[in-house]
Amino acid sequence: MLEIKAIDTFRGPAHILNGVSLRVDRQEVVCLVGRNGAGKTTTIESIMGFLPVRAGQIVFHDEDVTSLPPHERAKRGIGYSPEDCGVFPELSVAENLMISRWLGDEVVRRRNGGPRPDPEAQAFELFPEVKNLLQRQGLHLSGGQRKMVAIARAIMLSPTLLLLDEAFEGLAPVVVNRFIDAVMKIKAMGISILMAESHLGAATRIGDRLYAIDRGEIIFHGPPKDALADEKVVKALRG
Amino acid sequence: MTGTIFVIQLLNALFYAAVLFLIAAGLSLIYGVMRIVNLAHGSLYALGAYVTAWAVGGAVGAAVAGTLGQIGLFLLLPIGAIAVGVLGAVIEPTLLRPLYRRSEEYHLLITFGLLMIIEDMLKLIFGGTPLTASNIMDGLGSISVGALPYPTYNLLVIAIGVAAAVGLWWFVYRTKFGVILRAISQDRRMAAALGINVGRVYVQAFAIGCFITGLGGAIVVPAQAAVLGMGVEWLIVAFVVVVIGGLGSLEGALVGALIVGIAHVAGIQFFAEIELAVLYLIATVVLMVRPTGLFGRA
Repeated sequence: MLEIKAIDTFRGPAHILNGVSLRVDRQEVVCLVGRNGAGKTTTIESIMGFLPVRAGQIVFHDEDVTSLPPHERAKRGIGYSPEDCGVFPELSVAENLMISRWLGDEVVRRRNGGPRPDPEAQAFELFPEVKNLLQRQGLHLSGGQRKMVAIARAIMLSPTLLLLDEAFEGLAPVVVNRFIDAVMKIKAMGISILMAESHLGAATRIGDRLYAIDRGEIIFHGPPKDALADEKVVKALRG
Repeated sequence: MTGTIFVIQLLNALFYAAVLFLIAAGLSLIYGVMRIVNLAHGSLYALGAYVTAWAVGGAVGAAVAGTLGQIGLFLLLPIGAIAVGVLGAVIEPTLLRPLYRRSEEYHLLITFGLLMIIEDMLKLIFGGTPLTASNIMDGLGSISVGALPYPTYNLLVIAIGVAAAVGLWWFVYRTKFGVILRAISQDRRMAAALGINVGRVYVQAFAIGCFITGLGGAIVVPAQAAVLGMGVEWLIVAFVVVVIGGLGSLEGALVGALIVGIAHVAGIQFFAEIELAVLYLIATVVLMVRPTGLFGRA
């Protein structure tokens, strides 16, 4: 579904990603773990098209999307929930969701033209409490509510791949469990997930496969349980 | 001041505010969505006035005005606005888009350059003689306010201003495109990540902003001649409006235009020598008390 082949990405003059390769298959949860500044967000932003890739290739559904702008990648079915959630502060939650619902029609049409699963039902199945927030402005949401709205909004785009950047960051442990359940439900909807995550523990609980990144290079790839046993990975994550 | 004079001066203030609102609303819409302070806005307003005056004058000169009738001449009114909207759709992708990643000084420099270029183009194309579309105003005659006549056309301009305010509010807050505009104005990266073609929306927003301003020029020209320099003159007052109301806010453009319109007419009535100084004094006080304007965001 998604294949990143040896990409190099810069932020200004700084060379951040150095030959990063990874793969996400259909209906799979893949975690990208690493410390702050290791290159997780840069990888996600490269996939989304916010940062130009200087070398390498990004292939999505057998199409080279390396040079496509972000909106074209979204229309091809890549959903995105950024680290800061990206909820439009002065739009109501209903308006935030509405944008995805409108544009999701085009996403489905491009994909196969088949019937579109009810996007609202899918979003509210994940987080029923979002229903009670519809009239509230993004500005007036708590951190956890913002994360819920951001994921619900990304789901309403009817993507085939969801990029989640630090979805659990700043959440209380009990709320993290809710989000882990949500990730499992998203996977059951047939949507693949690539998660950037700082905590190895959370990643190993939900990931089918795991990549560890350090200083812009992939240092581990394999099953989560192997990562826990790999001294190099644990050391790199602990710093 | 008698009651009749008061009503006439109030109508004059609303006339002035209606035109100012259109200029300031275009300026605010463009800034709100694209974060560009468009100094060329004044000359785009003048272009709207010149094109409408040229079209109406041409129709009258070619003796087709009789065939067109008064309604036909009215239909020529928006031509200036359409021309300015089309020019805006050309300017944004060719001249402004390459500069979005640069700092604001570059935006100011390029739009100021455009202001000068369009002013000179107006001189080159239309010459130095003022143009007028007064046939439209004359055709509507006048109404009586107390014992004094008042041009009916001025009431039409006020009505257009009110309709534009209501229409813009509906457009921005009640339509799909309005939601997308507001989303882009708050976080264009996230908007793109949701599949919105930000570049295309920018062209449309800039063209709409130019159209509104061009409409201001088009509706003023039957009442006041199109003259060289009118763009800069109105641009400065429009900036006073957005400083008071808050750049980027439609509500601010409306309230700012009403304040400036009333202050302008009251200034002429009671202290003509310092009328402009009063406007700047109001703007200065607002800046000191509320630097983002009455409705502006920090």
